Order: sequence, then structure tokens, then C-alpha cells
Amino acid sequence: MNRKLLIVLFTCVAAQTGWSQKTAVSHVSQYVDLTATFGESQGTVAGSFVHNWKLGSRKRFEIGIGGRWTSYSGSKKDFLTAGPAKYTRSYTVPFLIFFAGQEEQNFDTLTLQRPLTHSINLMLNLGYTIAPKWYVGFNIDVIGFTFGRETSAVFTSNGITKTDPASKPSSFNLLLTGDHDQGSLNSEFYIRYKIAPHWSIKALYQFVFVEYQSQMISQTFSDGEMNDRFRNKANNLGLGVSYFFKQ
Amino acid sequence: MKNTIIIFLIVSITAFSCKKETTPDTIINPPTPIDTTISTIRYTGNFQNGPWGTTSGTAIIIETNGKFQLRLEGFRVNSGPDLKVYLSKELQPLNFLRLGSLKALNGNQAYDIPGSPNLMDYPYALIHCEKFNHLFGSAQLMMQ
Repeated sequence: MNRKLLIVLFTCVAAQTGWSQKTAVSHVSQYVDLTATFGESQGTVAGSFVHNWKLGSRKRFEIGIGGRWTSYSGSKKDFLTAGPAKYTRSYTVPFLIFFAGQEEQNFDTLTLQRPLTHSINLMLNLGYTIAPKWYVGFNIDVIGFTFGRETSAVFTSNGITKTDPASKPSSFNLLLTGDHDQGSLNSEFYIRYKIAPHWSIKALYQFVFVEYQSQMISQTFSDGEMNDRFRNKANNLGLGVSYFFKQ
Repeated sequence: MKNTIIIFLIVSITAFSCKKETTPDTIINPPTPIDTTISTIRYTGNFQNGPWGTTSGTAIIIETNGKFQLRLEGFRVNSGPDLKVYLSKELQPLNFLRLGSLKALNGNQAYDIPGSPNLMDYPYALIHCEKFNHLFGSAQLMMQ
């Protein structure tokens, strides 16, 4: 299904590439963006403000920063042990940790009944204009904070089940790569199509972390260290709309 | 532009509309009656109302060939979301065994108890709304 969508989008882009006219190109783009994503028993709504600088002689490549509000809602979602990375991955070198194996014997589950979080993060953006009306990009949250609803949870460890009456969202977010990350972070790969002078729509693939902390129960690792951080890693598809102030 | 936003909103609302969680009124395949020639009744207790529900009937733990099963006999509870059956160490469940989703709001039912737990540690059979952490009913189990 996803592959078919990509093929259709790619075909549309290829059909559009008659890229010969020369127009005055701004050095920056500024826009606000609203997206909604949908997954299994969960979803997000996000709003962001983005300021990008255009690079290169043709100003096709963009890099920039922004601020993003992400609201996440789910129902009966399993959150797994969020770290420390030394317990959850076979090695922990930053960035290379993406390729490390998972130490699943150290994973416990906190099933959140009604998770709801709101995160405000600084984000980084990268993008490339591939045709006059088509643009591909990536963005990722870097640092920020989260607040949200406390909810009851069921903690499962080696077949033992316990109730945590009021798990709450982790409040601090920081991108450190892989299981070194802290808190709740959103990222998107997207393709955008310009539909009017100031308006674009986009289709996106989202990878979002949402982290909760248990309050009354803790996971105990074999060396006695305790953990109260549990994370849901969600892959969602979504749609968005952008309004440009400068482009 | 308006059309795009309208389509966007319709898709969003459709995707976020949640599925309804319901427990059937009556059980489709009720268990066979307890045969005391092959099963031994270990614990029994009568259900009482919880803070969030009206519950009646009897909870019975039977042992058959070394395996334990919780039976609900003459059981009745009012409807609620995400109802589960627990054996719990406490009246308000903190440490518990989850025996599964409640099979029906009315009638006789059976739930296998996994493993070989020390049942003395779990003196309560509970009907619990897991999603909202609300107790619908409880039966304190007495050894027979």
C-alpha cells in the first residue's frame, strides 16, 4: 500500500518536471503547517512554524529550524522499556545505535489505557525542491517539553501484572539518537504539492516517540538498577496543509 | 482550497472515530456444569457491587487434574467498557492475575487460571474496567 502510494507520487513528480522557467527565488521560506496522522488506535495532530534558508545556486536545497506542537492520543497502547540504552541495545554508540540489536529480554510493558500528551519542541528541517510544485522534506524534534493526561496503566513483567493508577508523560524531551533519546519526539518524511500561491498540501510518514513514566511501580534490571520510563514508538501515515508567508 | 480542507477534515474525523467496546449480554458457549466427581471446589465467594458497577452471582475456583479454573455462576453485571476478570491480591487491584476479558454480562462462565499461582495470595475475584481503572464488582474468596 505504502509502496503504491510512493509510486503514484513519484510518477506525478516525473510528469511535472518541465523545470525551465527562471523566476526570482527568495533566500528563505517561512510557513505554518498543520498535520494529522493516523495509526492503530492512536494518532497525532501537529502544528508548526518553520523558517528555512535556501542553499545552492538554484536555491532548491533548504535547511532550517522551527517550533512544533504535537498532540498524541491513543487507546490501550503498549509502551516498552525506554532505556537506559545499555539495557535495551546490544551497543550504545550514538548514531550507530540505530543498527544495534534489541535486548528484548530486558523489555517490560506498560499498557497505557488512555495516553494523551502535548509536546512543544524545537525542530530541525531539511528539504529539497524536486519540481516547481513538488518538494520533499524531513523534520525532527530536538528539544522541548511535554505535558498531558495522567492515566492508569497495567505493568507486565515476566507474567506478573500490576496496576499503576496514574502514569504521567515524561516532561523533558531531548534528541540523543536511538534509545538515548529522552521524552516525546516527532519526526516526518513528507512530500508536498503546491496547490495555490500560498498553499501546499502534503502526505507524510511519521515516526513518533511518546514516553510515559510510571509512578507506583518500577522495572528492576538484573543488576538492580530501576527504570520507570516506557516508550511507544509509532509509525503513522498522515496528511497536512501548509500556508506560506515567504517562499 | 476549501474542498481540500473539507476532504482533509472528513478523512481526519473518519480515522479518529473509535470502535465501540462492548461485552455480549449472554454467553454463546456456556461451560458444562461443575462435575464434582472429577473437579474439586477450592474457593467460593459471592459477588458484591463495586463503586462503579452492580454485580451479583458466585465466584468459584475449581481444581481439575492440577489445573485451576475460575467459574462465575448465576453471574450478572451492568455494562461497562473494557471489562476484565482478575484474581487480585487487593480489593482495588494493584497486583493481580488477568484472566481475560469478561465473556458476557450475564450467565455462567469459565476462565482458566494460568500457571500454578498460590491462590492464597489472590483472595479477590474482580470485575474491573481496565481502561478507566474502575471496579465493577468483587467476590472475596473463601477456602472450602
